[in-house]
Amino acid sequence: MKYESQGIAKMYFIAAIGLFVGQILFGVTLGLQYVMGDFLFPAIPFNVARMVHTNLLIVWLLFGFMGSAYYLVPEESERELYAPWLAKLMFWVFLAAGVLTILGYLLVPYATLAEMTMNHLLPTMGREFLEQPTITKIGIVIVVLAFLFNIGMTILTGKKTVITLVLITGLIGLAVFFLFAFYVPDNLVLDKYFWWFVVHLWVEGVWELIMASLLAYVLIKVTGVDREVIEKWLYIIIAMALISGLLGTGHHFFWIGTPDYWQWVGSIFSALEPIPFFMMTLFAFNVVNKRRRDHPNKAAVLWALGTAVMAFLGAGVWGFLHTLAPVNYYTHGTQITAAHGHMAFYGAYVMVVLTMISYSMPIMRGQKAANERAQVLEMWSFWLMTVSMVFITLFLTGAGVLQVYLQRYSETPLPFMVVQDKIEIFYWLREVAGLVFLIGLLLYVYSFFAKGKEVEDIGAAVTS
Amino acid sequence: MNANNQHSKLQLKNAANAALASILNLTLLPVIGFIALYLIYKKTTPNNIDHYHAVLGMKINIIAAFVLFVVSGLMILLGGFNSPWTWVYVISYFTIVHTAFIVIALWALVRSWSGDKLKSNQ
Repeated sequence: MKYESQGIAKMYFIAAIGLFVGQILFGVTLGLQYVMGDFLFPAIPFNVARMVHTNLLIVWLLFGFMGSAYYLVPEESERELYAPWLAKLMFWVFLAAGVLTILGYLLVPYATLAEMTMNHLLPTMGREFLEQPTITKIGIVIVVLAFLFNIGMTILTGKKTVITLVLITGLIGLAVFFLFAFYVPDNLVLDKYFWWFVVHLWVEGVWELIMASLLAYVLIKVTGVDREVIEKWLYIIIAMALISGLLGTGHHFFWIGTPDYWQWVGSIFSALEPIPFFMMTLFAFNVVNKRRRDHPNKAAVLWALGTAVMAFLGAGVWGFLHTLAPVNYYTHGTQITAAHGHMAFYGAYVMVVLTMISYSMPIMRGQKAANERAQVLEMWSFWLMTVSMVFITLFLTGAGVLQVYLQRYSETPLPFMVVQDKIEIFYWLREVAGLVFLIGLLLYVYSFFAKGKEVEDIGAAVTS
Repeated sequence: MNANNQHSKLQLKNAANAALASILNLTLLPVIGFIALYLIYKKTTPNNIDHYHAVLGMKINIIAAFVLFVVSGLMILLGGFNSPWTWVYVISYFTIVHTAFIVIALWALVRSWSGDKLKSNQ
Protein backbone atom coordinates (compact mmCIF):
# COMPACT_ATOMS: atom_id res chain seq x y z
CA MET A 1 0.00 0.00 0.00
CA LYS A 2 1.64 3.22 -1.16
CA TYR A 3 -0.36 5.62 1.02
CA GLU A 4 -1.47 5.02 4.58
CA SER A 5 -4.87 6.63 4.08
CA GLN A 6 -5.76 3.99 1.49
CA GLY A 7 -6.26 1.70 4.47
CA ILE A 8 -9.52 3.49 5.26
CA ALA A 9 -11.08 1.42 2.49
CA LYS A 10 -10.81 -1.65 4.71
CA MET A 11 -13.55 -0.59 7.12
CA TYR A 12 -15.84 0.26 4.19
CA PHE A 13 -15.21 -3.12 2.59
CA ILE A 14 -15.85 -5.02 5.83
CA ALA A 15 -19.16 -3.18 6.28
CA ALA A 16 -20.04 -3.83 2.64
CA ILE A 17 -19.44 -7.58 2.97
CA GLY A 18 -21.42 -7.71 6.23
CA LEU A 19 -24.40 -5.98 4.64
CA PHE A 20 -24.03 -8.20 1.54
CA VAL A 21 -24.48 -11.27 3.76
CA GLY A 22 -27.59 -9.61 5.24
CA GLN A 23 -28.94 -8.90 1.76
CA ILE A 24 -28.57 -12.52 0.68
CA LEU A 25 -30.13 -13.85 3.92
CA PHE A 26 -33.18 -11.73 3.18
CA GLY A 27 -33.00 -12.87 -0.45
CA VAL A 28 -33.32 -16.56 0.45
CA THR A 29 -36.06 -15.65 2.93
CA LEU A 30 -37.94 -13.88 0.15
CA GLY A 31 -37.39 -16.79 -2.18
CA LEU A 32 -39.05 -19.06 0.35
CA GLN A 33 -41.91 -16.61 0.88
CA TYR A 34 -42.67 -16.88 -2.86
CA VAL A 35 -43.59 -20.53 -2.32
CA MET A 36 -44.55 -20.49 1.39
CA GLY A 37 -46.44 -17.25 1.66
CA ASP A 38 -46.72 -17.24 5.46
CA PHE A 39 -43.07 -18.07 6.16
CA LEU A 40 -41.94 -15.75 9.00
CA PHE A 41 -45.29 -13.92 8.82
CA PRO A 42 -46.17 -11.63 10.56
CA ALA A 43 -42.67 -11.01 11.97
CA ILE A 44 -41.14 -10.31 8.54
CA PRO A 45 -43.83 -9.87 5.86
CA PHE A 46 -42.88 -10.19 2.19
CA ASN A 47 -43.04 -6.45 1.49
CA VAL A 48 -40.67 -5.70 4.38
CA ALA A 49 -38.24 -8.49 3.46
CA ARG A 50 -38.17 -7.23 -0.13
CA MET A 51 -37.53 -3.66 1.00
CA VAL A 52 -34.65 -4.82 3.22
CA HIS A 53 -33.22 -7.01 0.42
CA THR A 54 -33.13 -4.18 -2.12
CA ASN A 55 -32.13 -1.41 0.30
CA LEU A 56 -29.27 -3.48 1.71
CA LEU A 57 -28.04 -4.02 -1.84
CA ILE A 58 -27.97 -0.29 -2.52
CA VAL A 59 -26.33 0.57 0.81
CA TRP A 60 -23.60 -2.09 0.61
CA LEU A 61 -22.80 -1.19 -2.99
CA LEU A 62 -22.45 2.45 -1.91
CA PHE A 63 -20.11 1.30 0.87
CA GLY A 64 -18.22 -0.68 -1.77
CA PHE A 65 -17.96 2.28 -4.17
CA MET A 66 -16.81 4.60 -1.40
CA GLY A 67 -14.24 2.09 -0.12
CA SER A 68 -13.00 1.55 -3.67
CA ALA A 69 -12.66 5.29 -4.23
CA TYR A 70 -10.80 5.76 -0.93
CA TYR A 71 -8.36 3.03 -1.96
CA LEU A 72 -7.95 4.03 -5.59
CA VAL A 73 -7.85 7.83 -5.49
CA PRO A 74 -4.79 8.38 -3.22
CA GLU A 75 -2.74 5.99 -5.32
CA GLU A 76 -3.83 7.51 -8.61
CA SER A 77 -3.46 11.07 -7.29
CA GLU A 78 -0.09 10.23 -5.72
CA ARG A 79 -0.92 11.80 -2.38
CA GLU A 80 -2.61 10.97 0.90
CA LEU A 81 -6.36 11.38 1.18
CA TYR A 82 -7.30 15.03 1.75
CA ALA A 83 -9.10 14.40 5.07
CA PRO A 84 -8.81 10.81 6.39
CA TRP A 85 -10.66 11.78 9.58
CA LEU A 86 -13.67 12.86 7.55
CA ALA A 87 -13.74 9.52 5.72
CA LYS A 88 -13.68 7.68 9.07
CA LEU A 89 -16.37 9.92 10.57
CA MET A 90 -18.63 9.53 7.55
CA PHE A 91 -18.21 5.78 7.67
CA TRP A 92 -19.75 5.64 11.13
CA VAL A 93 -22.49 8.12 10.20
CA PHE A 94 -23.43 6.10 7.13
CA LEU A 95 -23.28 2.78 8.96
CA ALA A 96 -25.43 4.10 11.80
CA ALA A 97 -27.95 5.58 9.36
CA GLY A 98 -28.06 2.37 7.33
CA VAL A 99 -28.43 0.03 10.30
CA LEU A 100 -31.04 2.22 12.03
CA THR A 101 -33.06 2.41 8.81
CA ILE A 102 -33.03 -1.36 8.34
CA LEU A 103 -33.98 -1.86 12.00
CA GLY A 104 -36.77 0.67 11.48
CA TYR A 105 -38.11 -1.38 8.54
CA LEU A 106 -37.99 -4.57 10.60
CA LEU A 107 -39.21 -3.38 13.99
CA VAL A 108 -41.89 -0.79 13.24
CA PRO A 109 -44.76 -0.74 10.73
CA TYR A 110 -43.77 1.38 7.72
CA ALA A 111 -46.52 3.96 8.37
CA THR A 112 -45.33 4.35 11.98
CA LEU A 113 -41.75 4.73 10.76
CA ALA A 114 -42.96 7.54 8.47
CA GLU A 115 -44.66 9.24 11.42
CA MET A 116 -41.68 8.75 13.74
CA THR A 117 -39.29 10.26 11.24
CA MET A 118 -41.63 13.18 10.46
CA ASN A 119 -42.05 12.28 6.83
CA HIS A 120 -44.95 14.76 6.58
CA LEU A 121 -42.51 17.69 6.75
CA LEU A 122 -40.89 16.63 3.45
CA PRO A 123 -42.67 13.52 2.15
CA THR A 124 -40.27 11.27 0.25
CA MET A 125 -41.14 7.80 1.55
CA GLY A 126 -43.10 5.02 -0.13
CA ARG A 127 -41.38 4.73 -3.49
CA GLU A 128 -39.76 1.45 -4.52
CA PHE A 129 -36.00 1.34 -3.71
CA LEU A 130 -36.28 4.86 -2.22
CA GLU A 131 -38.27 3.77 0.83
CA GLN A 132 -35.73 5.30 3.26
CA PRO A 133 -37.13 7.86 5.71
CA THR A 134 -36.45 11.47 4.65
CA ILE A 135 -34.02 11.88 7.52
CA THR A 136 -31.99 8.93 6.20
CA LYS A 137 -32.02 10.43 2.72
CA ILE A 138 -30.69 13.70 4.14
CA GLY A 139 -28.02 11.63 5.93
CA ILE A 140 -27.08 9.99 2.64
CA VAL A 141 -26.74 13.41 1.00
CA ILE A 142 -24.48 14.65 3.81
CA VAL A 143 -22.30 11.52 3.67
CA VAL A 144 -22.04 11.65 -0.12
CA LEU A 145 -21.23 15.37 -0.15
CA ALA A 146 -18.51 14.88 2.46
CA PHE A 147 -17.21 11.93 0.48
CA LEU A 148 -17.20 13.92 -2.77
CA PHE A 149 -15.43 16.81 -1.06
CA ASN A 150 -12.77 14.48 0.30
CA ILE A 151 -12.23 12.60 -2.95
CA GLY A 152 -12.57 15.76 -5.05
CA MET A 153 -9.97 17.70 -3.04
CA THR A 154 -7.58 14.74 -3.17
CA ILE A 155 -7.91 14.64 -6.95
CA LEU A 156 -7.74 18.43 -7.40
CA THR A 157 -4.60 18.78 -5.28
CA GLY A 158 -2.93 15.69 -6.70
CA LYS A 159 -2.16 14.08 -10.03
CA LYS A 160 -5.14 13.82 -12.38
CA THR A 161 -5.63 10.64 -14.33
CA VAL A 162 -8.36 9.53 -16.71
CA ILE A 163 -9.41 6.90 -14.18
CA THR A 164 -9.94 9.41 -11.37
CA LEU A 165 -11.71 11.85 -13.66
CA VAL A 166 -14.13 9.20 -14.90
CA LEU A 167 -14.63 7.99 -11.35
CA ILE A 168 -15.38 11.46 -9.96
CA THR A 169 -17.73 12.17 -12.87
CA GLY A 170 -19.65 9.01 -12.04
CA LEU A 171 -19.70 9.83 -8.33
CA ILE A 172 -20.90 13.39 -8.91
CA GLY A 173 -23.62 11.99 -11.16
CA LEU A 174 -24.57 9.58 -8.39
CA ALA A 175 -24.98 12.49 -5.97
CA VAL A 176 -26.84 14.75 -8.40
CA PHE A 177 -29.36 12.16 -9.54
CA PHE A 178 -30.08 11.10 -5.96
CA LEU A 179 -31.51 14.57 -5.39
CA PHE A 180 -34.55 13.54 -7.46
CA ALA A 181 -35.41 11.27 -4.54
CA PHE A 182 -36.56 14.44 -2.77
CA TYR A 183 -38.87 15.49 -5.60
CA VAL A 184 -42.19 13.71 -5.29
CA PRO A 185 -44.84 15.35 -7.53
CA ASP A 186 -48.53 14.68 -6.81
CA ASN A 187 -49.10 13.70 -10.44
CA LEU A 188 -48.45 9.95 -10.64
CA VAL A 189 -46.96 10.14 -14.16
CA LEU A 190 -44.49 12.83 -13.12
CA ASP A 191 -43.79 10.93 -9.92
CA LYS A 192 -42.77 7.81 -11.88
CA TYR A 193 -40.98 9.92 -14.50
CA PHE A 194 -38.63 11.55 -12.01
CA TRP A 195 -38.29 8.41 -9.88
CA TRP A 196 -36.53 6.84 -12.85
CA PHE A 197 -34.07 9.77 -12.86
CA VAL A 198 -32.67 8.20 -9.71
CA VAL A 199 -33.12 4.51 -10.42
CA HIS A 200 -32.29 4.29 -14.13
CA LEU A 201 -29.73 7.08 -14.34
CA TRP A 202 -27.87 5.49 -11.47
CA VAL A 203 -27.64 1.91 -12.66
CA GLU A 204 -27.75 2.42 -16.43
CA GLY A 205 -25.93 5.74 -16.43
CA VAL A 206 -23.46 7.08 -13.93
CA TRP A 207 -22.78 3.82 -12.09
CA GLU A 208 -21.41 2.45 -15.37
CA LEU A 209 -18.74 5.15 -15.22
CA ILE A 210 -17.83 4.11 -11.69
CA MET A 211 -17.73 0.47 -12.76
CA ALA A 212 -15.58 1.15 -15.83
CA SER A 213 -13.05 3.20 -13.86
CA LEU A 214 -12.74 0.59 -11.08
CA LEU A 215 -12.32 -2.20 -13.61
CA ALA A 216 -9.74 -0.19 -15.55
CA TYR A 217 -7.76 0.48 -12.35
CA VAL A 218 -7.62 -3.20 -11.36
CA LEU A 219 -6.75 -4.26 -14.89
CA ILE A 220 -3.84 -1.82 -15.03
CA LYS A 221 -2.57 -3.21 -11.73
CA VAL A 222 -2.91 -6.90 -12.48
CA THR A 223 -1.80 -6.92 -16.12
CA GLY A 224 0.86 -4.23 -16.32
CA VAL A 225 -0.58 -3.07 -19.65
CA ASP A 226 0.16 0.54 -20.61
CA ARG A 227 -2.19 3.05 -19.02
CA GLU A 228 -2.62 4.81 -22.39
CA VAL A 229 -4.15 1.70 -23.96
CA ILE A 230 -6.62 1.30 -21.11
CA GLU A 231 -7.51 5.00 -21.04
CA LYS A 232 -8.46 5.01 -24.73
CA TRP A 233 -10.83 2.12 -24.10
CA LEU A 234 -12.25 3.91 -21.10
CA TYR A 235 -13.12 7.01 -23.13
CA ILE A 236 -15.01 4.99 -25.73
CA ILE A 237 -16.81 2.88 -23.14
CA ILE A 238 -18.05 5.82 -21.08
CA ALA A 239 -19.09 7.73 -24.20
CA MET A 240 -21.18 4.76 -25.34
CA ALA A 241 -22.57 4.29 -21.82
CA LEU A 242 -23.79 7.88 -21.68
CA ILE A 243 -25.02 8.05 -25.29
CA SER A 244 -27.12 4.92 -24.87
CA GLY A 245 -27.94 5.14 -21.16
CA LEU A 246 -29.27 8.69 -20.85
CA LEU A 247 -31.97 8.49 -23.52
CA GLY A 248 -32.29 4.79 -22.79
CA THR A 249 -34.26 5.96 -19.73
CA GLY A 250 -37.10 6.08 -22.24
CA HIS A 251 -37.64 2.32 -21.92
CA HIS A 252 -39.20 3.03 -18.53
CA PHE A 253 -41.57 5.59 -20.02
CA PHE A 254 -43.39 3.22 -22.38
CA TRP A 255 -46.49 2.62 -20.25
CA ILE A 256 -46.58 5.27 -17.51
CA GLY A 257 -48.64 7.88 -19.34
CA THR A 258 -45.88 9.75 -21.17
CA PRO A 259 -46.13 10.66 -24.91
CA ASP A 260 -45.88 7.89 -27.52
CA TYR A 261 -42.53 9.06 -28.89
CA TRP A 262 -40.86 7.57 -25.85
CA GLN A 263 -41.58 4.14 -27.30
CA TRP A 264 -39.30 4.97 -30.25
CA VAL A 265 -36.68 6.88 -28.28
CA GLY A 266 -36.60 4.30 -25.49
CA SER A 267 -36.47 1.34 -27.87
CA ILE A 268 -33.73 2.74 -30.09
CA PHE A 269 -31.40 4.05 -27.41
CA SER A 270 -31.85 1.21 -24.98
CA ALA A 271 -31.18 -1.24 -27.82
CA LEU A 272 -27.73 0.42 -27.90
CA GLU A 273 -27.20 -0.13 -24.17
CA PRO A 274 -25.51 -3.55 -24.56
CA ILE A 275 -22.73 -1.86 -26.58
CA PRO A 276 -20.73 -0.41 -23.65
CA PHE A 277 -20.96 -3.76 -21.85
CA PHE A 278 -19.91 -5.57 -25.04
CA MET A 279 -16.95 -3.20 -25.26
CA MET A 280 -16.11 -3.73 -21.62
CA THR A 281 -15.82 -7.47 -22.26
CA LEU A 282 -13.68 -6.83 -25.32
CA PHE A 283 -11.58 -4.39 -23.30
CA ALA A 284 -11.03 -6.81 -20.39
CA PHE A 285 -10.24 -9.74 -22.72
CA ASN A 286 -7.85 -7.58 -24.73
CA VAL A 287 -6.00 -6.24 -21.72
CA VAL A 288 -5.65 -9.68 -20.12
CA ASN A 289 -4.49 -11.11 -23.46
CA LYS A 290 -1.85 -8.37 -23.74
CA ARG A 291 -0.75 -8.71 -20.11
CA ARG A 292 2.92 -8.23 -19.45
CA ARG A 293 3.01 -10.38 -16.36
CA ASP A 294 1.04 -12.94 -14.39
CA HIS A 295 -0.09 -11.25 -11.22
CA PRO A 296 0.08 -13.41 -8.09
CA ASN A 297 -3.50 -12.40 -7.24
CA LYS A 298 -5.23 -14.80 -9.63
CA ALA A 299 -8.54 -14.38 -7.82
CA ALA A 300 -8.63 -10.65 -8.62
CA VAL A 301 -7.97 -11.35 -12.31
CA LEU A 302 -10.80 -13.89 -12.29
CA TRP A 303 -13.19 -11.40 -10.66
CA ALA A 304 -12.21 -8.71 -13.19
CA LEU A 305 -12.82 -10.95 -16.19
CA GLY A 306 -15.99 -12.29 -14.59
CA THR A 307 -17.29 -8.76 -14.08
CA ALA A 308 -16.93 -7.94 -17.76
CA VAL A 309 -18.59 -11.14 -18.98
CA MET A 310 -21.41 -11.22 -16.43
CA ALA A 311 -22.18 -7.52 -16.86
CA PHE A 312 -22.51 -8.10 -20.60
CA LEU A 313 -24.74 -11.09 -19.97
CA GLY A 314 -26.93 -9.58 -17.25
CA ALA A 315 -27.10 -5.91 -18.14
CA GLY A 316 -26.49 -6.22 -21.89
CA VAL A 317 -28.14 -9.39 -23.14
CA TRP A 318 -30.91 -9.79 -20.54
CA GLY A 319 -31.61 -6.07 -20.76
CA PHE A 320 -31.94 -6.21 -24.53
CA LEU A 321 -34.19 -9.27 -24.22
CA HIS A 322 -37.13 -7.16 -23.01
CA THR A 323 -36.22 -3.59 -23.88
CA LEU A 324 -37.98 -3.09 -27.23
CA ALA A 325 -41.44 -1.57 -26.74
CA PRO A 326 -43.38 -4.30 -28.62
CA VAL A 327 -41.73 -6.97 -26.44
CA ASN A 328 -41.92 -4.91 -23.27
CA TYR A 329 -45.65 -4.49 -23.84
CA TYR A 330 -45.94 -8.11 -22.72
CA THR A 331 -42.97 -8.49 -20.39
CA HIS A 332 -42.89 -5.36 -18.24
CA GLY A 333 -43.08 -6.03 -14.54
CA THR A 334 -42.89 -9.82 -14.94
CA GLN A 335 -40.26 -12.24 -13.69
CA ILE A 336 -38.27 -11.43 -16.86
CA THR A 337 -37.52 -8.07 -15.22
CA ALA A 338 -36.50 -9.85 -12.01
CA ALA A 339 -34.19 -12.14 -14.03
CA HIS A 340 -32.52 -9.13 -15.67
CA GLY A 341 -32.29 -7.22 -12.40
CA HIS A 342 -30.59 -10.05 -10.54
CA MET A 343 -27.93 -10.81 -13.11
CA ALA A 344 -27.29 -7.19 -14.07
CA PHE A 345 -26.74 -6.04 -10.48
CA TYR A 346 -24.57 -9.05 -9.73
CA GLY A 347 -22.56 -8.91 -12.95
CA ALA A 348 -22.01 -5.20 -13.12
CA TYR A 349 -21.88 -3.84 -9.60
CA VAL A 350 -21.54 -6.66 -7.08
CA MET A 351 -18.72 -8.23 -9.04
CA VAL A 352 -16.82 -4.99 -9.65
CA VAL A 353 -16.86 -4.21 -5.93
CA LEU A 354 -15.71 -7.76 -5.17
CA THR A 355 -12.97 -7.29 -7.79
CA MET A 356 -11.74 -4.19 -5.97
CA ILE A 357 -11.93 -5.98 -2.61
CA SER A 358 -10.13 -9.01 -4.00
CA TYR A 359 -7.31 -6.86 -5.34
CA SER A 360 -6.92 -4.39 -2.48
CA MET A 361 -7.76 -6.34 0.68
CA PRO A 362 -4.59 -8.50 0.66
CA ILE A 363 -2.50 -5.36 0.08
CA MET A 364 -4.19 -3.59 2.98
CA ARG A 365 -3.40 -6.67 5.07
CA GLY A 366 0.30 -6.41 4.17
CA GLN A 367 0.43 -9.02 1.38
CA LYS A 368 0.80 -8.78 -2.39
CA ALA A 369 -1.98 -11.34 -2.75
CA ALA A 370 -3.90 -13.67 -0.46
CA ASN A 371 -2.29 -17.02 0.34
CA GLU A 372 -2.79 -19.95 -2.05
CA ARG A 373 -5.53 -21.68 -0.06
CA ALA A 374 -7.43 -18.44 0.44
CA GLN A 375 -7.29 -17.77 -3.29
CA VAL A 376 -8.51 -21.27 -4.13
CA LEU A 377 -11.43 -20.81 -1.72
CA GLU A 378 -12.16 -17.37 -3.15
CA MET A 379 -12.17 -18.73 -6.69
CA TRP A 380 -14.51 -21.51 -5.59
CA SER A 381 -16.80 -18.86 -4.12
CA PHE A 382 -16.60 -16.97 -7.43
CA TRP A 383 -17.81 -20.00 -9.35
CA LEU A 384 -20.47 -20.97 -6.81
CA MET A 385 -21.94 -17.47 -6.73
CA THR A 386 -21.62 -16.85 -10.46
CA VAL A 387 -23.00 -20.18 -11.64
CA SER A 388 -25.86 -20.04 -9.13
CA MET A 389 -26.66 -16.51 -10.33
CA VAL A 390 -26.80 -17.79 -13.91
CA PHE A 391 -29.27 -20.44 -12.74
CA ILE A 392 -31.30 -17.92 -10.71
CA THR A 393 -31.55 -15.86 -13.89
CA LEU A 394 -32.49 -18.83 -16.06
CA PHE A 395 -35.17 -20.00 -13.62
CA LEU A 396 -36.64 -16.51 -13.35
CA THR A 397 -36.54 -16.20 -17.13
CA GLY A 398 -38.43 -19.47 -17.43
CA ALA A 399 -40.94 -18.24 -14.85
CA GLY A 400 -41.23 -14.95 -16.73
CA VAL A 401 -41.83 -16.50 -20.14
CA LEU A 402 -44.52 -18.77 -18.73
CA GLN A 403 -46.05 -15.84 -16.83
CA VAL A 404 -46.17 -13.68 -19.96
CA TYR A 405 -47.75 -16.46 -22.00
CA LEU A 406 -50.40 -17.49 -19.48
CA GLN A 407 -51.21 -14.06 -18.09
CA ARG A 408 -50.79 -11.70 -21.04
CA TYR A 409 -50.35 -13.48 -24.37
CA SER A 410 -52.88 -16.29 -24.20
CA GLU A 411 -56.33 -15.82 -25.75
CA THR A 412 -57.77 -16.84 -22.38
CA PRO A 413 -55.49 -15.01 -19.95
CA LEU A 414 -55.32 -16.31 -16.39
CA PRO A 415 -55.40 -14.15 -13.25
CA PHE A 416 -52.07 -13.14 -11.64
CA MET A 417 -52.30 -15.42 -8.59
CA VAL A 418 -53.40 -18.44 -10.65
CA VAL A 419 -50.33 -17.96 -12.82
CA GLN A 420 -48.13 -17.65 -9.71
CA ASP A 421 -49.25 -21.15 -8.72
CA LYS A 422 -48.39 -22.48 -12.16
CA ILE A 423 -44.84 -21.10 -12.09
CA GLU A 424 -44.14 -22.33 -8.55
CA ILE A 425 -41.64 -24.95 -9.73
CA PHE A 426 -39.36 -22.18 -11.00
CA TYR A 427 -39.53 -20.43 -7.63
CA TRP A 428 -38.45 -23.62 -5.88
CA LEU A 429 -35.56 -24.06 -8.30
CA ARG A 430 -34.58 -20.41 -7.84
CA GLU A 431 -34.59 -20.95 -4.07
CA VAL A 432 -32.18 -23.89 -4.40
CA ALA A 433 -29.89 -21.76 -6.59
CA GLY A 434 -30.19 -18.95 -4.03
CA LEU A 435 -29.04 -21.29 -1.26
CA VAL A 436 -26.02 -22.30 -3.35
CA PHE A 437 -25.29 -18.58 -3.80
CA LEU A 438 -25.42 -18.15 -0.01
CA ILE A 439 -22.97 -21.05 0.43
CA GLY A 440 -20.67 -19.37 -2.11
CA LEU A 441 -20.89 -16.10 -0.22
CA LEU A 442 -20.12 -17.75 3.13
CA LEU A 443 -17.13 -19.45 1.51
CA TYR A 444 -16.05 -16.03 0.22
CA VAL A 445 -16.19 -14.61 3.76
CA TYR A 446 -14.31 -17.64 5.11
CA SER A 447 -11.55 -17.17 2.50
CA PHE A 448 -10.41 -14.04 4.33
CA PHE A 449 -9.56 -16.14 7.39
CA ALA A 450 -8.04 -19.16 5.61
CA LYS A 451 -4.41 -19.87 6.36
CA GLY A 452 -2.05 -21.31 3.77
CA LYS A 453 1.21 -21.04 1.85
CA GLU A 454 2.05 -17.47 0.91
CA VAL A 455 2.21 -16.81 -2.83
CA GLU A 456 5.36 -15.59 -4.52
CA ASP A 457 5.38 -12.55 -6.77
CA ILE A 458 5.70 -14.11 -10.18
CA GLY A 459 5.93 -10.77 -11.90
CA ALA A 460 8.00 -12.05 -14.80
CA ALA A 461 6.95 -11.28 -18.33
CA VAL A 462 4.48 -13.66 -19.91
CA THR A 463 6.04 -15.61 -22.73
CA SER A 464 3.39 -17.96 -24.06
CA MET B 1 2.78 -12.77 -25.21
CA ASN B 2 1.77 -12.18 -28.79
CA ALA B 3 2.97 -13.60 -32.04
CA ASN B 4 2.80 -10.38 -34.02
CA ASN B 5 6.38 -10.66 -35.27
CA GLN B 6 5.75 -13.95 -37.06
CA HIS B 7 2.92 -12.61 -39.24
CA SER B 8 2.75 -9.98 -41.95
CA LYS B 9 0.61 -6.88 -41.44
CA LEU B 10 -1.78 -8.05 -44.14
CA GLN B 11 -2.26 -11.41 -42.44
CA LEU B 12 -2.95 -9.74 -39.12
CA LYS B 13 -5.41 -7.37 -40.74
CA ASN B 14 -7.20 -10.23 -42.47
CA ALA B 15 -7.26 -12.26 -39.27
CA ALA B 16 -8.81 -9.34 -37.35
CA ASN B 17 -11.33 -8.73 -40.15
CA ALA B 18 -12.29 -12.39 -40.19
CA ALA B 19 -12.85 -12.44 -36.43
CA LEU B 20 -14.85 -9.20 -36.68
CA ALA B 21 -17.00 -10.62 -39.49
CA SER B 22 -17.60 -13.67 -37.31
CA ILE B 23 -18.93 -11.51 -34.46
CA LEU B 24 -21.01 -9.40 -36.83
CA ASN B 25 -22.63 -12.54 -38.21
CA LEU B 26 -23.51 -13.59 -34.66
CA THR B 27 -24.92 -10.18 -33.71
CA LEU B 28 -25.80 -7.24 -35.98
CA LEU B 29 -25.36 -8.63 -39.50
CA PRO B 30 -26.36 -12.28 -39.76
CA VAL B 31 -25.73 -13.82 -43.23
CA ILE B 32 -24.00 -10.63 -44.48
CA GLY B 33 -21.31 -11.19 -41.85
CA PHE B 34 -20.90 -14.78 -42.98
CA ILE B 35 -20.56 -13.76 -46.63
CA ALA B 36 -17.85 -11.27 -45.62
CA LEU B 37 -16.16 -14.00 -43.61
CA TYR B 38 -16.22 -16.35 -46.60
CA LEU B 39 -14.75 -13.69 -48.88
CA ILE B 40 -11.90 -13.13 -46.42
CA TYR B 41 -11.37 -16.89 -46.22
CA LYS B 42 -11.00 -17.05 -50.01
CA LYS B 43 -8.15 -14.53 -49.85
CA THR B 44 -6.16 -16.47 -47.26
CA THR B 45 -3.49 -19.14 -47.60
CA PRO B 46 -3.50 -22.31 -45.47
CA ASN B 47 -1.22 -22.36 -42.40
CA ASN B 48 -1.33 -18.59 -42.02
CA ILE B 49 -2.94 -16.86 -39.05
CA ASP B 50 -5.61 -15.17 -41.19
CA HIS B 51 -6.61 -18.55 -42.62
CA TYR B 52 -6.79 -19.95 -39.10
CA HIS B 53 -9.12 -17.16 -37.91
CA ALA B 54 -11.28 -17.30 -41.04
CA VAL B 55 -11.75 -21.06 -40.60
CA LEU B 56 -12.31 -20.64 -36.86
CA GLY B 57 -14.93 -17.97 -37.50
CA MET B 58 -16.74 -20.16 -40.01
CA LYS B 59 -16.65 -23.12 -37.62
CA ILE B 60 -18.00 -21.02 -34.74
CA ASN B 61 -20.81 -19.64 -36.89
CA ILE B 62 -21.79 -22.95 -38.51
CA ILE B 63 -21.87 -24.70 -35.12
CA ALA B 64 -23.79 -21.73 -33.66
CA ALA B 65 -26.32 -21.84 -36.49
CA PHE B 66 -26.81 -25.55 -35.91
CA VAL B 67 -27.17 -25.50 -32.15
CA LEU B 68 -29.27 -22.35 -32.17
CA PHE B 69 -31.63 -22.87 -35.10
CA VAL B 70 -31.74 -26.64 -35.49
CA VAL B 71 -32.03 -27.39 -31.77
CA SER B 72 -34.52 -24.55 -31.23
CA GLY B 73 -36.45 -25.74 -34.29
CA LEU B 74 -36.57 -29.25 -32.89
CA MET B 75 -37.80 -27.90 -29.55
CA ILE B 76 -40.63 -26.08 -31.32
CA LEU B 77 -41.39 -29.09 -33.51
CA LEU B 78 -41.50 -31.53 -30.62
CA GLY B 79 -42.97 -29.21 -28.01
CA GLY B 80 -45.58 -27.57 -30.24
CA PHE B 81 -45.74 -23.94 -31.36
CA ASN B 82 -48.69 -23.14 -29.10
CA SER B 83 -47.28 -24.64 -25.92
CA PRO B 84 -46.04 -22.07 -23.39
CA TRP B 85 -43.45 -24.57 -22.14
CA THR B 86 -41.88 -24.71 -25.61
CA TRP B 87 -41.16 -21.00 -25.38
CA VAL B 88 -39.82 -21.30 -21.84
CA TYR B 89 -37.17 -23.71 -23.13
CA VAL B 90 -36.52 -22.03 -26.49
CA ILE B 91 -36.08 -18.47 -25.17
CA SER B 92 -33.91 -19.47 -22.19
CA TYR B 93 -31.82 -21.85 -24.31
CA PHE B 94 -31.42 -19.51 -27.26
CA THR B 95 -30.40 -16.52 -25.12
CA ILE B 96 -27.77 -18.26 -23.03
CA VAL B 97 -26.26 -20.34 -25.88
CA HIS B 98 -26.21 -17.37 -28.26
CA THR B 99 -24.37 -15.31 -25.64
CA ALA B 100 -21.86 -18.11 -25.10
CA PHE B 101 -21.00 -18.07 -28.82
CA ILE B 102 -20.66 -14.28 -28.79
CA VAL B 103 -18.23 -14.47 -25.86
CA ILE B 104 -16.16 -17.15 -27.64
CA ALA B 105 -16.11 -15.01 -30.79
CA LEU B 106 -15.04 -12.00 -28.71
CA TRP B 107 -12.08 -13.93 -27.32
CA ALA B 108 -11.21 -15.03 -30.86
CA LEU B 109 -11.25 -11.37 -31.96
CA VAL B 110 -8.89 -10.36 -29.18
CA ARG B 111 -6.56 -13.25 -30.03
CA SER B 112 -6.59 -12.30 -33.71
CA TRP B 113 -5.50 -8.75 -32.84
CA SER B 114 -2.36 -10.12 -31.24
CA GLY B 115 -1.80 -12.67 -34.01
CA ASP B 116 -2.50 -15.60 -31.71
CA LYS B 117 -4.58 -18.72 -32.09
CA LEU B 118 -7.59 -19.26 -29.84
CA LYS B 119 -5.60 -21.28 -27.32
CA SER B 120 -2.01 -20.41 -26.36
CA ASN B 121 -0.69 -23.94 -26.90
CA GLN B 122 -2.20 -24.49 -30.37
